[in-house]
Amino acid sequence: MPLHVNLYHEVQQQEIARQRDPVRLAMLAVLLVMIGFVVNYFIVLERSHMVSIRYTVLQGDWAAIEPKAKDAKARQDELEAEIAASDAMVKNVDSRLYWAPVLDQILQTVPRTVQLIHLGAEAPGDEKSINSILEISGISSAPEPRKEAENVRTALETKLGTKFKHVSSVFKTLDDSDQYVMLDGRRLPTAAFSMEFQVQVRDPVVVAPPPVLKARREAGGAE
Amino acid sequence: MKLEQEQIKKIGLSAVVLVALLWGYFAFMLDPLEKSEKDATSGLAALGPQIADAKVQIAKTADLEKKAPVATAFLNRVKNSIPDGAPIAWFPPKMADFFKSRGIDKCTTHLVSESADPMPGFKRMVWSIDVPKVEFITLGLAICHLENDEPLMNILSVSVDATREDAQYQHATLVLSTLVKS
Repeated sequence: MPLHVNLYHEVQQQEIARQRDPVRLAMLAVLLVMIGFVVNYFIVLERSHMVSIRYTVLQGDWAAIEPKAKDAKARQDELEAEIAASDAMVKNVDSRLYWAPVLDQILQTVPRTVQLIHLGAEAPGDEKSINSILEISGISSAPEPRKEAENVRTALETKLGTKFKHVSSVFKTLDDSDQYVMLDGRRLPTAAFSMEFQVQVRDPVVVAPPPVLKARREAGGAE
Repeated sequence: MKLEQEQIKKIGLSAVVLVALLWGYFAFMLDPLEKSEKDATSGLAALGPQIADAKVQIAKTADLEKKAPVATAFLNRVKNSIPDGAPIAWFPPKMADFFKSRGIDKCTTHLVSESADPMPGFKRMVWSIDVPKVEFITLGLAICHLENDEPLMNILSVSVDATREDAQYQHATLVLSTLVKS
């Protein structure tokens, strides 16, 4: 085995000492950290740039769409107002009381032994009113003229009841007359009458309870 | 290992420089970037729903635009059916012509009242139509046609009285309201 003499021992020791120099090591560590920070900076920069680009694109989209949306909203309000007006008009027309069928029912019901001398009919005064008033005056002629007038009242009430929900009637006057009429060759006594019919022509408006009361009632029901 | 005085100085100086660099890095480089990113992110979060809402609004209006002609057809037809000009000038002749076409030669129309209607662009006028001589059936048929042909008219009251002169005929009075352009 040959014998080696290391003549560079001191040089090598110095080199090792230089490599293990804490200042150098600290500088290397700091350099590494700085490189890490720089890399991190570029990563954050890239991310921020991408977000900014997306934001800019969205801002462009918004700038383009916002006036259109405003115009659309204005147009929608306009159209909704028109539709509401049209609906109100249709409701207005549909809620009318048609008098021709009522007159037709009266014509069908009143017999030839009764002569009407007055017919007055009034539609409900306002939107809250549900009843219409019908006044009929006439002269009935029959062997029992009062009964004939009563027959007309009940027949009219029944007839009107087929068309309307609720009908009530009452005689305002019913008086025997001293006048006689000739009908079909017979001399018949007469009675003058006046009757009033209350006809429900609309459904009553049901007002919704206030929210607080409603909630309280529901809570009470749950208990 | 023992540090020399020179090395301690170097390390101290390096530490100071490092702290200064770190402060500069965070204060002047990273923080502004993160702030700008945060602003852009919150802007994105705000704009996204706004744009979505705007698109929904535009679609909704487009849908309504398709439905509106059908929904408003009746209103437009009714509006077009109302003559222009003062109603007092055209309504009484219109009624006279109407009743004449239904076999009632004579009728007189008077304005009773005039009021604003809740519907914008319209006002309500109440008229009294006096028919001095008419048969009940003829009157009933005329009223039937009036109600069917004139959707804007609403008969408020009907009064029919027997006439003393001729038992065949009656005297009738109609009170009706109609909508006219305001």
